[in-house]
This record gives sequence, structure tokens and C-alpha cells, in this order.
Amino acid sequence: MTPCNCIVQEGQVSAALEARLRSGLNELAVRAFGSEAEITWRVVPRGNGFTAGEPTKASVVSFRAHEPLAQSRREEVLRELCDFWIGETGCSVDELVGVVSDPQQA
Amino acid sequence: MPLYICNATQGTIDDEHKQAIAKDITRIHCDVTGAPPQFVHTFFFEDAPTPPLDGKSASLFGSIRAGRTDEQKKEIIDSMTESIHRHAGVALDDINAITSDIPASWVMEGGDIFPEPGEEAEWLEKHEAKHAAEVK
Repeated sequence: MTPCNCIVQEGQVSAALEARLRSGLNELAVRAFGSEAEITWRVVPRGNGFTAGEPTKASVVSFRAHEPLAQSRREEVLRELCDFWIGETGCSVDELVGVVSDPQQA
Repeated sequence: MPLYICNATQGTIDDEHKQAIAKDITRIHCDVTGAPPQFVHTFFFEDAPTPPLDGKSASLFGSIRAGRTDEQKKEIIDSMTESIHRHAGVALDDINAITSDIPASWVMEGGDIFPEPGEEAEWLEKHEAKHAAEVK
């Protein structure tokens, strides 16, 4: 399994959208890393998320690879991740932080 | 990035104090590192499994870009702990705070790979120009 952590703000993602996001992230994990995503989904309670000290709509999505990735490959995966998430959620490009880390690192 | 996650026991930090702490966290991080404020995210949870409380009332975990000095990290931890203490009334020794380094090259924000520390101004200029061109 490929560890995948998602942090979203309460009220930003409906149950139906969450299901589509989970499915898409799983497909991405299989394509990119060769195994299904083990998704940890965390919802920041309303009024508990801030960017630059102001209420935020930002989401953070991170994958941890099974082996060190070449930077070019990492960027491909990150771009695919961001394009997918923005396409599904309709969020702006500035409202998503994507992370693809190497093994044994957060 | 950075991403600061604050976990606390239920009711330890009132909602009215969270934004004040988030503003302090943003200011402290920017003052210490020179990073622009729009990069700084702060999320609050209560009784969450992570970051672990380990018997404390509050725990702050910061994922920050690699490249900061030990002195910078200590200043960040000490100042942010002091902010939680001051706003929420939690004793200093009842707060855990740590940071973890993450390479900038692992992170995409605003649709671009994140800049290395010290390269933010150039990154922001290119980023804003790119998005201005996309809007046209």
C-alpha cells in the first residue's frame, strides 16, 4: 500500500466528492507507485484552518513513495495529482499543497 | 508549506484564540525564515491521533522546508510555544513543539515546485507572472 494523507477543510468536500477523490487517488497510486493508496483522510473543523493567519480553503495531499524518486518523475506525479485534485474539486491552484516524499520521511 | 498542525485536548484552546495563534505562527515563521506569509498554513485539531499529545495539553508539529539552521528552528519552537502559552493559558511545560524538515523539491504549491529557502521572491514573481498570463 502507498501511504496517502489528505487534509481538507470542513465543508469543502461533500461525501460524493470525497468518494471520487479517494478513487482517483487510488488510481494514481497504482499508476505511479504500483500499489493502492492507504488513505488517511483528515477534516479540519470549520474555523480551525488558516493560511497567512486568515481562514483558509487550503487542502494538503501527500503521498509517500516506496523508493526514492528521480525529481523529474516526482514532478510528473505531483502535476498529475494537482491536475486531478483541482479538476475534481474546482479549487484554485493556490488552494492545494501536494507532496510526494521519499521513503521514511514525512 | 510550512504546515503547522496544532493538536490539543478538547477545550484547551478556545476558538477565539486560534486565529491569534495562527497569526503569531505566521509572523514568527516569516520573521525567522524570511518566507512569505501566504506559504504558512496552520491547522488546529482536538484529541487527534497526530501529532501525539504524549500526556501534554497541546502539541505543535511543523513541517518546514529543509535548510533552516538549528538556531532558527529553536527560535521557531520557543516563540510559538510562548504564543500558545500566552493566548490559551497552557503552561509552557505542558506544550510539545517540534519541527521536521522536508525538501522543497518534494512539494508543489500554487502549481509549481516549491522554492528553496531564500529563493521565494524570484519564485513568487514567476508564479504571479505565470498566472497573470493564464488569466489573459
